[in-house]
Amino acid sequence: MYAPFYKYGMFGDEVSLIVAFVIGIGFGFFLERAGFGSARKLAAQFYFTDMAVLKVMFTAIITAMTGLYLLARVGFVDLSMVYLVPTFVVPQIVGGLLLGVGFVIGGYCPGTSCVSAASGRVDGMVYIAGMFAGLLVFGEISRPLEGFLYSTPLGQVTLPAFFHLPYGVLVLAVVLMALVAFAVAEWAEKKTTGTAPDAEGSLTAMPWRLTPVRRLAGAFAVAGVLAVVLGNPYRGNTVEVDTRDLALGAARAQPLAPAKLADWIIQGRNDFTLVDLRTPASYGTYHIPGAQNVPLASLTADVAPRNQTLVLCTDDGAEAAQAWFLLKAEGFRSVYLLAGGLNGWRDQVLYPKAGPETSANDVARLSQVAQYFGGTPQTGVASAAAPPMPVLAPPVAPPIAPAGGTAGPKKKKEGC
Amino acid sequence: MDSVQDNPQPYWNPYWAGFGLGLVLLSAFVIMGRGLGASGAFTTATAAAVHAVAPAHAESNSFYAEYLGDGTRSPLKDWLVFEVLGVFAGGFLSAALGHRLRFFIEKGPQIASGPRLALAFTGGAMMAVGAKIALGCTSGQALTGGALLNVGSWAFMLGVFGGAYAVAYFFRKQWR
Amino acid sequence: MTELTYTRHNPLIDPIFHVWEWQIPVYLFLGGLVGGLMIIAGIRLLVLRPNRREALVCCTLGPLIGLAALSLGMFSLFLDLGHKLHVWRLYTTFQVTSPMSWGSWILLLVYPALAANALAHLPEAIPALASRFPALVKISDFILARPRLVLFAGLTNTALGAALGIYTGILLSTLGGRPLWNSAVLGPLFLFSGLSTAAALLHGILVLTMPSGERPAFADFLLSALARMTQARPLDPAAAPILASADNSFLTVEVSLLGLFLLGHVTSTAVHHRAAGLLLTGPYAAPFWVLVVGLGIAMPLLLQTLELAHRIRHTLAPSLLVMFGGFALRVILVSAGQASRWFEALN
Repeated sequence: MYAPFYKYGMFGDEVSLIVAFVIGIGFGFFLERAGFGSARKLAAQFYFTDMAVLKVMFTAIITAMTGLYLLARVGFVDLSMVYLVPTFVVPQIVGGLLLGVGFVIGGYCPGTSCVSAASGRVDGMVYIAGMFAGLLVFGEISRPLEGFLYSTPLGQVTLPAFFHLPYGVLVLAVVLMALVAFAVAEWAEKKTTGTAPDAEGSLTAMPWRLTPVRRLAGAFAVAGVLAVVLGNPYRGNTVEVDTRDLALGAARAQPLAPAKLADWIIQGRNDFTLVDLRTPASYGTYHIPGAQNVPLASLTADVAPRNQTLVLCTDDGAEAAQAWFLLKAEGFRSVYLLAGGLNGWRDQVLYPKAGPETSANDVARLSQVAQYFGGTPQTGVASAAAPPMPVLAPPVAPPIAPAGGTAGPKKKKEGC
Repeated sequence: MDSVQDNPQPYWNPYWAGFGLGLVLLSAFVIMGRGLGASGAFTTATAAAVHAVAPAHAESNSFYAEYLGDGTRSPLKDWLVFEVLGVFAGGFLSAALGHRLRFFIEKGPQIASGPRLALAFTGGAMMAVGAKIALGCTSGQALTGGALLNVGSWAFMLGVFGGAYAVAYFFRKQWR
Repeated sequence: MTELTYTRHNPLIDPIFHVWEWQIPVYLFLGGLVGGLMIIAGIRLLVLRPNRREALVCCTLGPLIGLAALSLGMFSLFLDLGHKLHVWRLYTTFQVTSPMSWGSWILLLVYPALAANALAHLPEAIPALASRFPALVKISDFILARPRLVLFAGLTNTALGAALGIYTGILLSTLGGRPLWNSAVLGPLFLFSGLSTAAALLHGILVLTMPSGERPAFADFLLSALARMTQARPLDPAAAPILASADNSFLTVEVSLLGLFLLGHVTSTAVHHRAAGLLLTGPYAAPFWVLVVGLGIAMPLLLQTLELAHRIRHTLAPSLLVMFGGFALRVILVSAGQASRWFEALN
C-alpha cells in the first residue's frame, strides 16, 4: 500500500469527492476552533495584539511538513506525487500583496470567510458575495493579463531544489524559523496588550515547566533534526520495483490511438506530456505539435513529475518498449504508447484514408482534424494503394484555431 | 425549551488548533496527494453560474472554460467544491458546539455596519482577484505550498504579510 | 398527412433514456412531504386534547402548508404530462393494477382530508382570519364538537398520508425497465424520507418562532410583521424537542431503508448490482454520499442529537438540511434510475 492513495489508483474520482467533503469538514472545524471565523481575531494579527494567525498557520505548516517528510522518508508516501502548484514568481508576489491588502480590508481570506458565514456572521457572507463579484470582473478582464499571469515561470519547484540544499535542512530551517517566530509573536502580544500570556498555552511564559505545548514544540524540533540526519525523502534511486507486476503489466502497455491524441491536442488538454523519443534530426524534420524531444538514451525520471501522464512516440517498437519499461520502473503511473508511432500518426491523422464506406460526416471530421495539423485526408481507393510521401514540416502555428481556444501556454488550475 | 446559555466558549489554544489543522492537511497529502484550498471552489461556482446564464459566453472565455472541464460531467463535481461544502459543515458544527452561532456583523466599535459591509465586499473582491493572480489563496498557497516547501508559496506568503502590514495602519478604525 | 417513422429513429421505438427532468423529483418530494405532514397532523389530532397549543403547528400550519405543497406538486406533475388536455381522463376510470390511477385518486382525496384537519383548529391559530370569516369558526366548532368526526379525520389523514408517501416510491418501483428502481423498499423509503422532511419543516417553523433572543435574529423582523397581521398566538416551543426526536427516528429508519435498498441490489442480479454501483461508486456516488447521506441525513442527525442533549441550541440548520437531503434523494434516485438499464448494449 502506497500513498498518496488517490494517485496510486486506490479509489476513483467520485470517491475522491466524498473524501474532499470529509477533509473539508476537518478543515472547517479546526479553522473555527482556532477562532478564524472571527474577522477581529484575524485582523488582530496585523496590529500585534493577537498573533493567532501566525501561530496557527505555522504550526499547521510545520505539522504537515514534518509529518509528510517522515512518511515519505519511511517510504509510505511518494513525495513526488504530491501536487505542487507551479511557481510564477512575480504574479505570486503581486497576488500575495493584493491578498494581504484585501485581508486587512475584508477581514477574512477565502477559507475563513466560509467558516465565518457558517457561524452566522453577515460580514462573512458579504465577503463571499464580494469574492463572486471579483471573480466575475476578473473573468472578463483576465485575457489581456494572461501574459503577466504566466510570467517568470520556474515550474514545479521546491525550496530545496531551488537552493540546491538537502530537503531535511530546509525542513529544520522552517521548523526553527517557526519556533523563533512563535517566541517573537508572544513577546509582541505581551508588549501590545500588556498582559502576561497564560502559562499553559504559551511557549515562553514563566515559570519554566514542560507543558504540553512545549512538548509539541520540542517534538517539532526533534523531527527537524531527524530530517537533517535521515536525508532525502524522495523515492529516487531506491525505488522499489514490483517486477512481477511490471512484467505482467507489459502485456497491457496502454496504446493510444493517434486520433485520440489528435483530439487531446485540439482540445488543448494540458494534463499530459508528449515525449518524442527519436533522434533530434528526425525530430527536426517533423514532430507532433507540443512534443518534447527526449532521445531514449537521455530519458530519465526527470522528464516529468511522476503523476503526469506521458505519451511516448517513436517509430521504433523496441525503443518504445524500452522507454515504457524504464518509466514504469521509475514509478510513473500512466504511460501511453502512441499506437503505430509517427507512421500511425501520419496515416491516421495527417493523411487519413477515407474509403467509400466512410460517411460524409466522418470525412468532414477527418479532414478538419487533418487540416488542423497541416495534412489532408486521402479519398478514393486509387490513392490508397500508393500513399504519397507527406511533406512533414512542423506546423509553426495551428492553421485552425482550436474550438476551446485553450491551446496556449501551459496552464493548470491552481491548487486553491 | 431547553435553555442553553449563549456564552461563547473560548477558542482553542492556537498551537493545538494549528496542530489539528496540520493533521488535516497531512491527511489530504496522504490520501489525495494534494493540499487544501478554497478560492478555486468559488471560481468553479462562478464559472458554472456564468455558464448556466450565458453558455456561449462562458465557453468562449478561456478563464471560465478552464473551470468548466470537457463537458462530460458537471463542473461543480470538483474536488474543491466538495471540500468547501465540508468547510461550511465543519465550521457550523464547531461554532454550534462552541455556542458561537449568532447572526451579526463583526466590526470594531468605531465603524458603522454599512461601511464595514462595504469593506468586507471590497476585500472579498480584491482577494478573489489576488488569488487568481497568485494561483491560490491563503489555504491553497500559504498553507499547502508552505508545507510542501513550494518556492512560489513562500514568495506568496511574503507578499501577503507584507501587503497586510503595509496597509494595516490605514484601516485600524475598522477593527479597534 | 402524418409521416410515421417506424425505424429506430422514432423515440417511441428506441426509448430516450432521460425523459424526466426536474418536474418528477419536485412532485415526488412535495408528495412525500405532504404525506408526512398528513401523518403527523393525523396522529396529533388523534392523541391530543383539543385546544392544546402544540396542536397549532402540527394540526393547523402543517396541513395548510400541505395544501399549498400538494397543489405545487400536482402542478409540476401536470407540467410533465405529455398530453396536458387529457388529464381529466384519469378521473373517468379506476384501474386496480395501475399505480398512476391509484395516485390520481389518492391525490383527489387528500385535499378534503387535509382541509378538515386544517380547519379544525384554524380559528384559534389565526384569529385574524376567523374574525373576518365567521364561517370558519362554525366549521371548527362543528368538527370539534363531534369526537367521532375528529377520530375519523385523524385516521383518514394518517392512512392517506401513508398511502401517498408509499405511492411516491411505488410509482418508481413499478417501472420494470429501470433496474435501480426494482425494489419494494422504495415505497417505505420515500415514506420515511417524507416523514423526516415533514417533521423537519415543522421543527424549522418552531425554531423560527422561538421566544425572541433564542431564535435566529433575522427572524425577528419577519415574525413581528406576521404576528401583527394574523394576531396569531405564539406557537408552543415544547413541541420542538418532540419533533426533533421524531425527526431523528425517521432519519434513522430512512438510512436503514437506504441501506436495505442498496444491499438488496448489490446481492441481486448483475444488472441490479451494476445499477446500485451507480450510487455506490459510479457517477452518482459523490452527490449521493455527500448531499443525501452526509448533509441530508448524518449531519442533521448529529445536530438534532446534540440539540436534544442540550449541547447546542436549536437552529434552523437541521431542518433545512433534512429538506434539502430529501429533495436531493429524489433528484438523484430519479436521475440515476433513468441511467440504469438492463442491457449495457443500449448504452
